[in-house]
Amino acid sequence: MIVLFLTPAVLAFGLMFLYPVTRTVIMSMFSVKNVTDPVSTWQFVGLQNFIDIISNVTFRRAMMNILRIWLVGGIFTLSISLLFAVILTSGIKGKRFFRAVIYLPNVVSAVALAIMWTQYVFSSKYGLFNHVIKLFGGKAVNWMSSGMKFWSMLIAFIFGAVGYYMLIFLSGIERIPADLYEAATIDGASKIGQFRHITLPLLRSVFKTNLTFWTINTITFFVWSKMFSPVDSEMSTMAPIVYMMNLVFGGKGITETKAGSGAAVGVLLALCVLIAFTLFNVLIKDDEIEL
Amino acid sequence: MKTKHAKAKNQDAGSKLRLSQLPAYLIVVFWVIFTFVLLGWIFAASLSTSREIYTGEVLKFASGFHFDNYITAWNSQNVSVFFMNSVLYATVSLIGIQLICAPAAYVLARFMFKGNKLLKNCFIVAMSIPSIMVILPLYSAAVQMHLTGTRSLLIILYICLNVPFTTTFLLNFFGSLSHTYEEAAAIDGCTPIRTFWKIMMPLAQPGLVTVGIFNFLAVWNEYFMAMIFASSDSLKNVGMGLFSMVQAMKSNGNMGGLFAAVVIVFMPTFIIYLFLSEKIIAGITAGGVKG
Repeated sequence: MIVLFLTPAVLAFGLMFLYPVTRTVIMSMFSVKNVTDPVSTWQFVGLQNFIDIISNVTFRRAMMNILRIWLVGGIFTLSISLLFAVILTSGIKGKRFFRAVIYLPNVVSAVALAIMWTQYVFSSKYGLFNHVIKLFGGKAVNWMSSGMKFWSMLIAFIFGAVGYYMLIFLSGIERIPADLYEAATIDGASKIGQFRHITLPLLRSVFKTNLTFWTINTITFFVWSKMFSPVDSEMSTMAPIVYMMNLVFGGKGITETKAGSGAAVGVLLALCVLIAFTLFNVLIKDDEIEL
Repeated sequence: MKTKHAKAKNQDAGSKLRLSQLPAYLIVVFWVIFTFVLLGWIFAASLSTSREIYTGEVLKFASGFHFDNYITAWNSQNVSVFFMNSVLYATVSLIGIQLICAPAAYVLARFMFKGNKLLKNCFIVAMSIPSIMVILPLYSAAVQMHLTGTRSLLIILYICLNVPFTTTFLLNFFGSLSHTYEEAAAIDGCTPIRTFWKIMMPLAQPGLVTVGIFNFLAVWNEYFMAMIFASSDSLKNVGMGLFSMVQAMKSNGNMGGLFAAVVIVFMPTFIIYLFLSEKIIAGITAGGVKG
């Protein structure tokens, strides 16, 4: 029975993960023109693919972009979501309603969400942001200009992401025993003091979860980049995966496809995930008490 | 007189409490209003003419409600095809995923055998493997097997892709059930496989429903796989369909139709969320669902 019940799942795992990952890693060390080229035509080049992509201007720009998204977007997303989680657990009315609305963008197709931002909020003619700016007598901003595009994309991305991280913080805060706060209140600790000395230290492992998810989320950043420059991939919104897709399947500025280099991009990104994962596990110790 | 005084004092305390919470309310309410304006405007725009949208007169409905936007989008812009494809992909994958994962999770949660721990870890690692690490070999394999350009290919991929997460999620559910059920069934002469179908599956139903919602949403909103494997219009899911509509928008300028399509794509997930948001939120906070 054990074998019977497990076989389909194990097959799916092998088919979808084990075999492709192994082949991608091997492929990254070969010169391969088209993805569909048979293995017999592959030429071993060692680490040359990696050297090529690391010295490529577009790839560097793409890596810088996601690094900025990770850092700036991470600071904003995680602080806003922590703020919301604290507010919602402070005993305000309508908690369930607020929680549900803030999480809502996460169940919407990212493509639909991105259209709402690019075609409405950021529109220079009738967009919401410029409308509000004009209402206060300010000067209209061209949100989709090449100078602003990256930041516009980041704002839209943060808006969509906050709800998820808020939920994780929320469940972490709710699991902190209430008597800790009662004792602190009796001892005369202020609300802010309680937040600093009880909530934050006890949320350590929740922070780790959120940081890990955020990192994976930014490394695999793709849809938003694609939606903010749907026709050509522009430098300002370039992401490593967009670059990889262009390398493998052809695209702007790519004269010949290089599937081997594309695989190398994939391997590099997977390594980033692995390094971040290990770092967070070493740097952020789990709480003594299981929350 | 005395009661009146007490009442006044009470009211005072109440308003004081509310006053100190005012900033908290303001922040959350601001965010919620923004979300509503965003969705409300998109809905209003889907009922307006492109001219009204461009001139910023969406909320006036000067020329009435243009439900014909929906008809145009549904019929002549292929939204019906994308929608039905997504319905097919999501429902068939959902059934397939559960058929594969429920037995596997059951066996992994309740039987100790060699390799049990290893398999569980494999599934956990697979959850954080970026899709880019697997698509190149999958693409070349699909081309070799002449599977490209078929709906079954996407369904198979969606099923396999969700196996690690679903199995891991269901592990906890099966693990939490009492062993007395199986013991009683065994005494009554029920075979293990029958016990699983007749007793354990119904008991795990809450978990199956929750994870089923996640699977449905994940497949409905999927974009990356569809971009690579749904090459022709007739295979596209809603995400890819919307994306090609945005690209086409640049030439045909049919804004009303585009927003109507956005609403059509968004509706199913929104309705699910409207009724099941508590279940979805509980599932995320319990399992730390991948974003």
